[in-house]
Amino acid sequence: MPSVKPLRTTSTETVSDTQSSTVTKRRWLVVVWNDPVTPMSVVVVIFKKIFGYSNNKATQLMMTVHHEGRAVVWSGARDRAESYCVKLQVAGLHCTMEQE
Amino acid sequence: MAGRNRLFVRRRDGRIEIRLNDAGRSVARDAFGHVVAAEREVEHDWHTSLSAPIDPSTDHDDPTAMLTRQLEIATNAELALMTVDEAYLTDAEAWVWLTTLQVALRATALSTGVLDEERLETASDEITDRIRILQQFLFELAELF
Repeated sequence: MPSVKPLRTTSTETVSDTQSSTVTKRRWLVVVWNDPVTPMSVVVVIFKKIFGYSNNKATQLMMTVHHEGRAVVWSGARDRAESYCVKLQVAGLHCTMEQE
Repeated sequence: MAGRNRLFVRRRDGRIEIRLNDAGRSVARDAFGHVVAAEREVEHDWHTSLSAPIDPSTDHDDPTAMLTRQLEIATNAELALMTVDEAYLTDAEAWVWLTTLQVALRATALSTGVLDEERLETASDEITDRIRILQQFLFELAELF
């Protein structure tokens, strides 16, 4: 299993766009990370319960976590991403949020 | 699997029967108790794994989100502890068992340095046994949902 880990960094970058009046909002991603002990079936059950995903979708996402070390399991507004991330952590998964 | 002795069985009335023996309940009680303690005591071995970053790009996570997480993990663990000697669980209680055991499993792995499969394979028998027992409980609880 990969040992890729998110690092806590201080963000000093600011993005400004004075040329365009249209601002594209970047989505927030909820990312679940692989770990060496969590049973696959538990990950599937947690995805189904928290997001209401079908068994197929939950299993696909679990397999992405397993093979690629991480998977984006939800994306959208910041507040909802944070709320889902907390729910996944409360369920015991290794989860973080990041901007697209 | 036919003939297998199940640890958790869903009854016709929807309740979930706990078929753990005293040793099994002791393992569950210990796991639930450690999660409750880890949320209260910053020096507890598991405290760090229970307070992982939510948004690693910032220096500090939103305090409201952190408090919500802390309260929910603690409330779940306390309910799991209160039901550890019951004969039957409701769905909600079984879910609380599953999530609290999963929190305990990852905290056990992190606090003992089991960060990848290589280190899992080289971990001591004591740590491996503890992890395998928690995984077995989780496998069986996951089958109920």
